[in-house]
Amino acid sequence: MRELVAARRRRPLRRGRADNRVAELVQDLARGDKRAAAKLISLIEDDEPEAAEALERIHPRTGKAHIVGFTGPPGVGKSSLINRLVRAYRRRGKKVGVVAVDPTSPFTGGAVLGDRIRMAETGIDPGVFIRSMATRGHPGGLALATFDAVRVLDALGMDIVFVETVGAGQSEVEIAKRAHTTVVVEMPLSGDAVQVMKAGILEIGDVYVVNKVDLGDADGLVANLNQEIHPRNGWTSPIVRTSALEERGIPDLVLALERHRAHLESTGELREREAARARQEILDNLRRLVEERARRADRVRAEIDRLARDVVERRLDPHAAADALLLGMARRRRVPVPRRRGRAS
Amino acid sequence: MAKKIRVLIAKPGLDGHDRGAKVIARALRDAGMEVIYTGLRQTPEDIVEAAIQEDVDAIGLSCLSGAHMTLFPEVVRILRKRRAKDIVVAGGGIIPEEDVPKLRKAGVKAVFGPGTPLTEIVGFFKKAAKGA
Ligand SMILES: Nc1nc2c(ncn2[C@@H]2O[C@H](COP(=O)(O)OP(=O)(O)OP(=O)(O)O)[C@@H](O)[C@H]2O)c(=O)[nH]1
Ligand SMILES: [Mg+2]
Repeated sequence: MRELVAARRRRPLRRGRADNRVAELVQDLARGDKRAAAKLISLIEDDEPEAAEALERIHPRTGKAHIVGFTGPPGVGKSSLINRLVRAYRRRGKKVGVVAVDPTSPFTGGAVLGDRIRMAETGIDPGVFIRSMATRGHPGGLALATFDAVRVLDALGMDIVFVETVGAGQSEVEIAKRAHTTVVVEMPLSGDAVQVMKAGILEIGDVYVVNKVDLGDADGLVANLNQEIHPRNGWTSPIVRTSALEERGIPDLVLALERHRAHLESTGELREREAARARQEILDNLRRLVEERARRADRVRAEIDRLARDVVERRLDPHAAADALLLGMARRRRVPVPRRRGRAS
Repeated sequence: MAKKIRVLIAKPGLDGHDRGAKVIARALRDAGMEVIYTGLRQTPEDIVEAAIQEDVDAIGLSCLSGAHMTLFPEVVRILRKRRAKDIVVAGGGIIPEEDVPKLRKAGVKAVFGPGTPLTEIVGFFKKAAKGA
């Protein structure tokens, strides 16, 4: 999320030998050191001063991992399914990362992060890295730093990274914008198709899973989903029936994920999705930077006060005021062109 | 975004009650901390691995089975071996008075018996995270 912050740093990175803590951490990361990965994620999540440099150094080392998002209502079995998939991918010799997001309490700022409970059997497997993350007030079922953590795990050498969103049970478009493959998990007892459609969930799933088939008849839900799913860009989202509890349907789910990945690659949609994500991230960062700058600089704050008076006095509408402010900010401070740079060491 | 205190609450050993551990987890959450709860029957190796991946400031261990004298020091030992001894370890459960000094000597920073006020436990983890 913070590449633009990184671009703001004008001092070019020193190449070669690791000459500071972040450079050392990133070198250790590239060697597969989990402790370095964990420290880097924290540093970014806490938005420490070194975060921008860390991301700048990590970014060139990313781009290999298949990023798979999991969304669906609370308790539907997302963590349990990911646990099964971790085992399945490990058996195929793949390294697997997981970032699991749970909500932060808006009242206390604290959180109990419990997704790990379902993934306990992974234990000390060296080819697995699981990180729990609290939303820290970020909307949309993800934390601000979730995809930075994904980057870290990508650079750690993970072949596939699963992202579990907060099970808010509502439309979670953010994950769909950012993952390569979005898996929507439902269960037989979770209501009729009308509800599913209302949630807007039918536009985001690349793969649908009907989990907990051991509990009840899934045919109704599958039939309803089938009616609503239409091909998009040459891809018809499959519906996979699973029981994470009884370990049923997991190979089918693996196959569906692999097929989607292959589809993205063969049609060029992978690059397109990456570009869409990059655009989104640049815009997110732009908004952040502009807001930060506007809030921090006294001069800009005074300007906002003046404009606000104009708006209250009906001399100006808020839209025009924002326009004027942006123009003023751009004029007074030339936008620095970030230097082109080779790969970070 | 300010630095958040992160604590791992784990239950090593074979006993199957985690009500106490859950109460602690909630109290720490209510004090604004991020609590990673790992569930029952974890081995010391699992616990240390999770603590490293989650980059926690401290680990709270709960044990009611009587195996605390082997399990708690084992966690400390593995943390040292993994060069992660900056992670503070505290323990709680049904622990006889005479075991407390031995556990402290083995590197367990605090031992909370039954009936320890929650505020004391919360206070300990707050201080531990700062001092680490
Ligand atoms: N019967 C049955 N129970 C399941 C299945 N999958 C998961 N469960 C149970 O459902 C409960 C919730 O599972 P989780 O994997 O934690 O679900 P989740 O979607 O990750 O939940 P949140 O993270 O809280 O949103 C647990 O008690 C699981 O054991 C399944 O296929 N069948
Ligand atoms: Mg979960």
